[in-house]
Amino acid sequence: MIVSITWLADYVQLPASVDELVDRLLMSGLNHESTRAAGADTAVELEVTSNRPDCLGHIGVAREVAVLYGRPLHVPDPRPAERGPDVGTGLAVEILAADCCPCYTARVIRGLRVGPSPQWLVDRLHTVGLASVNNVVDITNYVMLECGQPLHAFDLAKIRGGTLSVRRARDGETFTAINHKTYTLDERMCVIADAAGPLALAGVMGGAESEIGGATTDILIESAQFAPLPVRAAARGLVLASASSYRFERGPDPAMVDWASRRTAALILELAGGTLDRGSLTAGRLACPAAEISLAATRVAAVLGVDVPAERQQRILTGLGFIEQPGPAGSLWRAPSWRRDVWREIDLVEEIARIEGYDHVPEDAPIEARAVELSDRELTMRRAGEALVAAGFCEAMTRSVVNSDLAAVPSPWGDAAPLVIAPPLVRGADRLRRSLLPSLLEARATNAAAGTSDAELFEIARAYIPRGAGPAIGTGPVEEPLLLAFVSGGDFFRAKGLAGAVLARLGIGAAEAAGEMRVSYRPWAGSPFVAGRAAEIVLERPGCDAARVGVVGEVARTMLGERGLEGDVAAAELRLDRLEFAAQLERPLRRPSDFPALQRDLNLVVDAAVPWSDIEAAIRASAAGLVEECRVVQVWQDADRLGAGKKSVVAALRLRSDAGTLTSDAASRAVDAMVAECGRRVGAVLRS
Amino acid sequence: MTTSAALESFLAELERLRGDAASSLAAASDAGAVEQARIEFVGARSGRLKAVQKLLGGIAPADKPEAGRRFNEIKAAIAELFAAAQDRTAAAAADTAGGPLDVTLPGAAVPLGHLHPITQTIRRVQEIMGRLGFESVDGPEVEDPWHNFEALAIAPEHPARDPLDNFYLAVARTAEPLLLRSQTSTVQIRVMESRRPPLRIVSLGRVYRPDTADATHYPMFHQVEGLLVEPGTTMAHLKSVLRLFASSFLGGDVRVRFRPSFFPFTEPSVEVDMEWGGRWVEMGGAGMVDPAVLKAVGYDPATVSGFAFGLGVERIAARRHGVDDIRDFYRNDVRFLRQF
Repeated sequence: MIVSITWLADYVQLPASVDELVDRLLMSGLNHESTRAAGADTAVELEVTSNRPDCLGHIGVAREVAVLYGRPLHVPDPRPAERGPDVGTGLAVEILAADCCPCYTARVIRGLRVGPSPQWLVDRLHTVGLASVNNVVDITNYVMLECGQPLHAFDLAKIRGGTLSVRRARDGETFTAINHKTYTLDERMCVIADAAGPLALAGVMGGAESEIGGATTDILIESAQFAPLPVRAAARGLVLASASSYRFERGPDPAMVDWASRRTAALILELAGGTLDRGSLTAGRLACPAAEISLAATRVAAVLGVDVPAERQQRILTGLGFIEQPGPAGSLWRAPSWRRDVWREIDLVEEIARIEGYDHVPEDAPIEARAVELSDRELTMRRAGEALVAAGFCEAMTRSVVNSDLAAVPSPWGDAAPLVIAPPLVRGADRLRRSLLPSLLEARATNAAAGTSDAELFEIARAYIPRGAGPAIGTGPVEEPLLLAFVSGGDFFRAKGLAGAVLARLGIGAAEAAGEMRVSYRPWAGSPFVAGRAAEIVLERPGCDAARVGVVGEVARTMLGERGLEGDVAAAELRLDRLEFAAQLERPLRRPSDFPALQRDLNLVVDAAVPWSDIEAAIRASAAGLVEECRVVQVWQDADRLGAGKKSVVAALRLRSDAGTLTSDAASRAVDAMVAECGRRVGAVLRS
Repeated sequence: MTTSAALESFLAELERLRGDAASSLAAASDAGAVEQARIEFVGARSGRLKAVQKLLGGIAPADKPEAGRRFNEIKAAIAELFAAAQDRTAAAAADTAGGPLDVTLPGAAVPLGHLHPITQTIRRVQEIMGRLGFESVDGPEVEDPWHNFEALAIAPEHPARDPLDNFYLAVARTAEPLLLRSQTSTVQIRVMESRRPPLRIVSLGRVYRPDTADATHYPMFHQVEGLLVEPGTTMAHLKSVLRLFASSFLGGDVRVRFRPSFFPFTEPSVEVDMEWGGRWVEMGGAGMVDPAVLKAVGYDPATVSGFAFGLGVERIAARRHGVDDIRDFYRNDVRFLRQF
């Protein structure tokens, strides 16, 4: 809302300083956007919140000023002379869609002269950013900007059939607006029509056909109440927002419908001449409900934490136009017609508070101390992220909504097609992602294109998996797994090591917890990884089904090449929402042994297909807790020296006892037992 | 008695010899100095040890065994000192074998990881609010109209529900349309539905609104929203908590200013300005929880009241770090991320 300062001064005496005025308005609810000089005038742009349509006219703003400064408000009372015949002669208005238009009124002026506006009118419109069209159109705009009620003038000669109907548009009906563009309407919208078709898009814009022009002599002035929804449907649907639609979407003061009509007629008679028909055509009834609102004496203090004297409360409300009702002083009020946003006690409190000023609210009220802790989920997210930050990764934030290319990469977390949103988040991106990995690969590629070929990135975010026909876990139709994903240079083992570090940071898979749960890596073939060079991470816990908690692997070259990525890239994605429940965020100390350790190497020959995890399990199972560390040193195959289909696995063991110094004999016996167990379980023989 | 005097003088000479050898060797910093000391003390021809050995001849026969034993002890001790000094100077020589370094050459790079500046800002807010007794909570991003609108007193005809102002899921999988949440107040509703007052929470996370991306807007951004519901809560508590927050976040005794505003779910509603760098900066919106919202979650507005506030994380992070285009937060350029 742009306010002309000289215009505003018509209704209330203003303070000498515009800056001071703007500051008071800012602190009472009309945010200041800008101030600029406009000739001898000053234009002030105010931001009006959607609940305050009363301030979309100069009178409404003047009322705020009057209350803030305790000065009287002067609103004109237009009484145009009605020298013509009865307005209803040969002309009628009807409402066929009461839900779109509760009330419609029309006045008629005949024999006027359309011409230029006087300079004062041109200047005022110019200050608020409007170009002058002609005296009649300028006056309708002027009155709208004065009181907030939009108006429209029709060329009476162009109305065919003598009846104006307010009705819903018909699907496919066309309409040419005063901007000379033709629009196709639908039945969500409302039109003003005559016998031949729409003359105006109700509350939005007039039509070219009945436009006021130089040849116009007789006009019909429309002042009506239109409901917000059809106006919004038209303004939005046709991209045809106007000052009128803006106001009707917010609901102008119903009491101004007649006032605005009289004011327009009076100004036209004054500036364009002509004769006003007697009376006005009215269809429907003004919807102008006014609830009684009670206000308890202690309420203001209970909400604000500081009291406002009763007499001051009454003065503020009265100044704003609230009408005190019979009863104990200040206890019962009726809201003015222009304040339909105020209908409850709490709304009255806000009115008193904003005029009194929030500077009065104390800022030293004591707050009772409360214990608070971070949730397991929060701790899980933080610990997991810390592990990757410690490994040198940067945290990325990629979009939750991706394009169809990224969305097409299969997700480890569900096969259902990605959910689609409208409108797209950004151009082309309208699919809710089911995995973070494609986005991170893209981010790595973007970095490579910018000259950083080794961007090590991770992200913690949700993905969105439509729940399939299977048994629903949780409630909503969309599952939102909390994921941690990372991309890194290197091979499978680099990524597995990093994933293991994250798990270890969560206390999962650590040796001391191994008795309770088991983390295993199983071969897995799925995008975006190379088949045979990827694994799923499976977590088994007592009393729970085995669950996939992650995938890790080398990214397929087809995924890399099309993004311009070179070199080996490995990645992983972990389900933090599943790990959260297994995480050991607080762990008891396991005291390191004080006794010395012994090193032993074990050189075993097994079938090439035997996985290391089976060998390690056999070693650990037979060693009665003596194995402190068990590392693979070397794996090699040589048909000549080992036999076809065989491999040599060299393991380095560190053996230590918690109970006493491990003797060389005891260590040798343990190693013998390991060899025997490996022979039994996986057919291993000791290579000498 | 004279014989004893000769022995004592001999033993004193031995001790002096050991002391001199020890201090000479301690002062010897390289192999040359050690060799000098060796010649001085244990040189075969004119070493001081040799000279002391000659004194043995003047010792009375009865004292000879004692004198000889002591002599051998000291000789061995001096030999040990020499061995230690030789090891020490050899190690020192090895240390400097390559000559002096160019200490201006760069150190070996250690990759340092970085949390995203948005995460860092959120953590900071969480930490401060945690000290004030607010617990961090999160909830789903795909929401239903009840939690995103109705329970927040946003009526069906409210423009905020317009399809063009929200990201609705295109395929209705349920009777009611779902959408990406446009505010984290949804989480506050969910928490209030499942718990009774007193309640102090901060909800945080990603929210989505169809804005065209530019330097100050992005269709996906982060919110931190605080909620306190306790009997007897007033706007004075709201202002006090925000002032404590501002002073902790920005440092010093920061002033907070309320300007009237409008949100469907708070009444009264205010914009919150904080004094930052000598001027008022808009930090977010706040207000007293609207009685309609308390009713919607089954609380009795007659017995409890509360306040809520929301902060735009990107705006705070941008201002904190001098980022003038919030799209930078989502470009994921490591040259940007490594600076925080």
